[in-house]
Amino acid sequence: MDFFTSMEVSASGLSVERTRMTVAASNLANASTTRAVGGGAYQRKDVVVQSVPVPGGPAGVNGVAVTALRADTLPPRLEHDPTHPDADADGNVAYPNINPVEEMVDMITASRAYEAGITAMSSAVSMAERALGIGR
Amino acid sequence: MTPIRPVDVSSLLGSEGVARPRPSESGGGFAATLSDAIDQARASEQASVQAAKGFAAGDPAVGIHEVVISAEEANISLRYATTLKNKVLDAYRELMSTQV
Repeated sequence: MDFFTSMEVSASGLSVERTRMTVAASNLANASTTRAVGGGAYQRKDVVVQSVPVPGGPAGVNGVAVTALRADTLPPRLEHDPTHPDADADGNVAYPNINPVEEMVDMITASRAYEAGITAMSSAVSMAERALGIGR
Repeated sequence: MTPIRPVDVSSLLGSEGVARPRPSESGGGFAATLSDAIDQARASEQASVQAAKGFAAGDPAVGIHEVVISAEEANISLRYATTLKNKVLDAYRELMSTQV
Protein backbone atom coordinates (compact mmCIF):
# COMPACT_ATOMS: atom_id res chain seq x y z
CA MET A 1 0.00 0.00 0.00
CA ASP A 2 1.30 3.41 -0.87
CA PHE A 3 0.86 4.80 2.64
CA PHE A 4 3.34 2.18 3.76
CA THR A 5 5.90 3.55 1.29
CA SER A 6 5.81 6.97 2.91
CA MET A 7 5.97 5.30 6.33
CA GLU A 8 9.04 3.35 5.24
CA VAL A 9 10.73 6.50 3.96
CA SER A 10 10.04 8.22 7.28
CA ALA A 11 11.27 5.16 9.16
CA SER A 12 14.58 5.18 7.29
CA GLY A 13 14.99 8.85 8.20
CA LEU A 14 14.29 8.06 11.85
CA SER A 15 16.99 5.35 11.79
CA VAL A 16 19.51 7.81 10.35
CA GLU A 17 18.71 10.41 13.01
CA ARG A 18 19.03 7.77 15.71
CA THR A 19 22.49 6.90 14.37
CA ARG A 20 23.38 10.60 14.25
CA MET A 21 22.38 10.92 17.92
CA THR A 22 24.48 7.86 18.81
CA VAL A 23 27.49 9.30 17.01
CA ALA A 24 27.10 12.68 18.77
CA ALA A 25 26.89 10.86 22.10
CA SER A 26 30.02 8.90 21.21
CA ASN A 27 31.85 12.12 20.32
CA LEU A 28 30.84 13.76 23.60
CA ALA A 29 31.70 10.71 25.67
CA ASN A 30 35.13 10.48 24.05
CA ALA A 31 35.90 14.20 24.29
CA SER A 32 39.01 13.48 26.36
CA THR A 33 39.94 10.02 25.11
CA THR A 34 43.68 9.73 24.47
CA ARG A 35 43.62 6.01 23.69
CA ALA A 36 41.07 5.41 20.93
CA VAL A 37 40.53 2.04 19.30
CA GLY A 38 43.47 1.78 16.90
CA GLY A 39 45.66 4.05 18.99
CA GLY A 40 46.09 7.78 19.34
CA ALA A 41 43.55 10.42 20.30
CA TYR A 42 39.91 9.77 19.47
CA GLN A 43 38.87 11.33 16.18
CA ARG A 44 35.49 13.03 15.94
CA LYS A 45 33.03 10.97 13.85
CA ASP A 46 30.36 12.16 11.47
CA VAL A 47 27.69 10.19 9.60
CA VAL A 48 27.69 9.89 5.80
CA VAL A 49 24.12 9.57 4.55
CA GLN A 50 23.05 8.10 1.22
CA SER A 51 19.72 7.83 -0.61
CA VAL A 52 18.42 4.30 -1.04
CA PRO A 53 15.45 3.27 -3.19
CA VAL A 54 12.37 2.05 -1.35
CA PRO A 55 11.25 -1.45 -2.42
CA GLY A 56 7.82 -1.25 -4.03
CA GLY A 57 7.82 2.53 -3.99
CA PRO A 58 7.42 4.83 -6.99
CA ALA A 59 10.55 5.63 -8.99
CA GLY A 60 12.39 8.69 -7.71
CA VAL A 61 11.22 8.32 -4.12
CA ASN A 62 14.13 7.39 -1.89
CA GLY A 63 14.73 6.54 1.70
CA VAL A 64 18.01 7.22 3.45
CA ALA A 65 20.65 5.10 5.09
CA VAL A 66 23.93 5.71 6.88
CA THR A 67 26.66 4.32 4.63
CA ALA A 68 29.72 5.12 6.69
CA LEU A 69 31.09 6.99 9.66
CA ARG A 70 33.57 9.62 8.55
CA ALA A 71 36.43 10.41 10.89
CA ASP A 72 37.15 14.10 11.24
CA THR A 73 40.70 15.00 10.13
CA LEU A 74 41.10 17.99 12.45
CA PRO A 75 44.49 17.90 14.19
CA PRO A 76 44.31 16.91 17.87
CA ARG A 77 44.41 19.51 20.61
CA LEU A 78 47.81 19.45 22.33
CA GLU A 79 48.11 20.02 26.06
CA HIS A 80 51.37 20.13 27.94
CA ASP A 81 51.28 17.51 30.70
CA PRO A 82 54.56 15.55 31.01
CA THR A 83 53.17 13.33 33.79
CA HIS A 84 50.41 11.93 31.55
CA PRO A 85 51.17 8.33 30.45
CA ASP A 86 50.23 9.22 26.84
CA ALA A 87 52.49 12.28 26.64
CA ASP A 88 54.89 12.38 23.70
CA ALA A 89 58.64 13.09 23.88
CA ASP A 90 57.98 16.84 24.31
CA GLY A 91 55.53 16.23 27.16
CA ASN A 92 52.47 17.09 25.04
CA VAL A 93 49.27 15.05 25.24
CA ALA A 94 47.05 14.84 22.14
CA TYR A 95 43.39 15.26 23.05
CA PRO A 96 40.50 14.87 20.56
CA ASN A 97 39.49 18.14 18.94
CA ILE A 98 35.86 17.93 20.00
CA ASN A 99 33.76 21.03 20.52
CA PRO A 100 30.86 20.25 22.89
CA VAL A 101 28.81 23.12 21.42
CA GLU A 102 29.07 21.56 17.95
CA GLU A 103 27.94 18.21 19.34
CA MET A 104 25.01 19.87 21.12
CA VAL A 105 23.95 21.48 17.83
CA ASP A 106 24.21 18.08 16.11
CA MET A 107 22.06 16.52 18.82
CA ILE A 108 19.43 19.24 18.60
CA THR A 109 19.39 18.88 14.80
CA ALA A 110 19.01 15.11 15.06
CA SER A 111 16.28 15.48 17.66
CA ARG A 112 14.30 17.98 15.57
CA ALA A 113 14.74 15.90 12.41
CA TYR A 114 13.47 12.87 14.32
CA GLU A 115 10.41 14.84 15.40
CA ALA A 116 9.85 15.96 11.81
CA GLY A 117 10.04 12.35 10.62
CA ILE A 118 7.52 11.28 13.25
CA THR A 119 5.21 14.12 12.24
CA ALA A 120 5.40 13.08 8.58
CA MET A 121 4.66 9.50 9.55
CA SER A 122 1.75 10.50 11.79
CA SER A 123 0.29 12.43 8.86
CA ALA A 124 0.58 9.35 6.63
CA VAL A 125 -1.07 7.21 9.32
CA SER A 126 -3.92 9.66 9.81
CA MET A 127 -4.40 9.88 6.02
CA ALA A 128 -4.65 6.09 5.89
CA GLU A 129 -7.14 6.11 8.77
CA ARG A 130 -9.21 8.81 7.10
CA ALA A 131 -9.16 6.76 3.89
CA LEU A 132 -10.40 3.70 5.77
CA GLY A 133 -13.22 5.80 7.19
CA ILE A 134 -14.59 6.81 3.76
CA GLY A 135 -18.31 6.16 3.59
CA ARG A 136 -18.71 5.54 7.30
CA MET B 1 18.46 32.95 -7.69
CA THR B 2 17.50 29.56 -9.13
CA PRO B 3 13.96 29.23 -10.42
CA ILE B 4 11.75 26.70 -8.70
CA ARG B 5 11.21 23.74 -11.02
CA PRO B 6 7.65 22.48 -11.36
CA VAL B 7 7.07 19.02 -9.91
CA ASP B 8 6.70 16.44 -12.67
CA VAL B 9 4.03 14.14 -11.29
CA SER B 10 4.34 11.59 -14.10
CA SER B 11 7.99 10.93 -13.22
CA LEU B 12 7.00 10.35 -9.59
CA LEU B 13 4.36 7.89 -10.65
CA GLY B 14 6.79 5.85 -12.76
CA SER B 15 5.96 3.89 -15.88
CA GLU B 16 3.35 1.72 -14.19
CA GLY B 17 1.58 4.60 -12.45
CA VAL B 18 0.87 4.10 -8.78
CA ALA B 19 -2.39 6.02 -8.98
CA ARG B 20 -4.05 3.37 -11.10
CA PRO B 21 -5.54 0.39 -9.24
CA ARG B 22 -3.45 -2.74 -9.48
CA PRO B 23 -5.34 -5.75 -10.79
CA SER B 24 -5.34 -8.60 -8.34
CA GLU B 25 -2.89 -11.42 -9.13
CA SER B 26 -5.37 -14.19 -8.41
CA GLY B 27 -7.80 -13.38 -11.18
CA GLY B 28 -9.88 -10.49 -9.86
CA GLY B 29 -13.16 -10.52 -8.07
CA PHE B 30 -13.96 -9.45 -4.60
CA ALA B 31 -12.82 -12.69 -2.97
CA ALA B 32 -9.35 -12.22 -4.46
CA THR B 33 -9.14 -8.61 -3.24
CA LEU B 34 -10.21 -9.64 0.25
CA SER B 35 -7.77 -12.55 0.18
CA ASP B 36 -4.95 -10.20 -0.84
CA ALA B 37 -5.85 -7.82 1.99
CA ILE B 38 -5.89 -10.67 4.51
CA ASP B 39 -2.53 -11.94 3.22
CA GLN B 40 -1.05 -8.48 3.59
CA ALA B 41 -2.48 -8.12 7.09
CA ARG B 42 -0.96 -11.47 8.03
CA ALA B 43 2.43 -10.59 6.53
CA SER B 44 2.62 -7.23 8.28
CA GLU B 45 1.47 -8.79 11.56
CA GLN B 46 4.30 -11.33 11.27
CA ALA B 47 6.77 -8.55 10.46
CA SER B 48 5.55 -6.69 13.54
CA VAL B 49 6.07 -9.77 15.72
CA GLN B 50 9.56 -10.24 14.25
CA ALA B 51 10.46 -6.62 15.01
CA ALA B 52 9.17 -6.92 18.57
CA LYS B 53 11.14 -10.16 19.05
CA GLY B 54 14.29 -8.56 17.64
CA PHE B 55 13.94 -5.57 19.93
CA ALA B 56 13.31 -7.77 22.98
CA ALA B 57 16.37 -9.86 22.10
CA GLY B 58 18.52 -6.73 21.96
CA ASP B 59 19.14 -6.67 18.20
CA PRO B 60 20.96 -3.33 17.67
CA ALA B 61 19.47 -2.96 14.17
CA VAL B 62 15.92 -2.82 15.57
CA GLY B 63 15.03 0.47 17.21
CA ILE B 64 11.95 1.43 19.16
CA HIS B 65 10.49 3.26 16.19
CA GLU B 66 10.83 0.18 13.95
CA VAL B 67 8.76 -1.84 16.43
CA VAL B 68 6.07 0.83 16.76
CA ILE B 69 5.96 1.51 13.00
CA SER B 70 5.59 -2.16 12.09
CA ALA B 71 2.85 -2.48 14.70
CA GLU B 72 1.10 0.52 13.16
CA GLU B 73 1.45 -0.99 9.68
CA ALA B 74 -0.06 -4.23 10.95
CA ASN B 75 -2.88 -2.25 12.56
CA ILE B 76 -3.66 -0.40 9.30
CA SER B 77 -3.48 -3.61 7.23
CA LEU B 78 -5.82 -5.39 9.60
CA ARG B 79 -8.27 -2.51 9.56
CA TYR B 80 -8.11 -2.42 5.76
CA ALA B 81 -9.00 -6.12 5.62
CA THR B 82 -11.75 -5.63 8.21
CA THR B 83 -13.18 -2.66 6.29
CA LEU B 84 -13.28 -4.71 3.08
CA LYS B 85 -14.99 -7.57 4.91
CA ASN B 86 -17.57 -5.20 6.40
CA LYS B 87 -18.29 -3.68 2.99
CA VAL B 88 -18.97 -7.04 1.33
CA LEU B 89 -21.11 -8.18 4.27
CA ASP B 90 -23.13 -4.97 4.02
CA ALA B 91 -23.63 -5.53 0.31
CA TYR B 92 -24.61 -9.17 0.92
CA ARG B 93 -27.19 -8.19 3.57
CA GLU B 94 -28.54 -5.50 1.30
CA LEU B 95 -29.09 -8.07 -1.45
CA MET B 96 -30.52 -10.70 0.87
CA SER B 97 -33.08 -8.28 2.19
CA THR B 98 -34.40 -7.62 -1.32
CA GLN B 99 -38.19 -8.10 -1.45
CA VAL B 100 -39.31 -10.55 -4.15
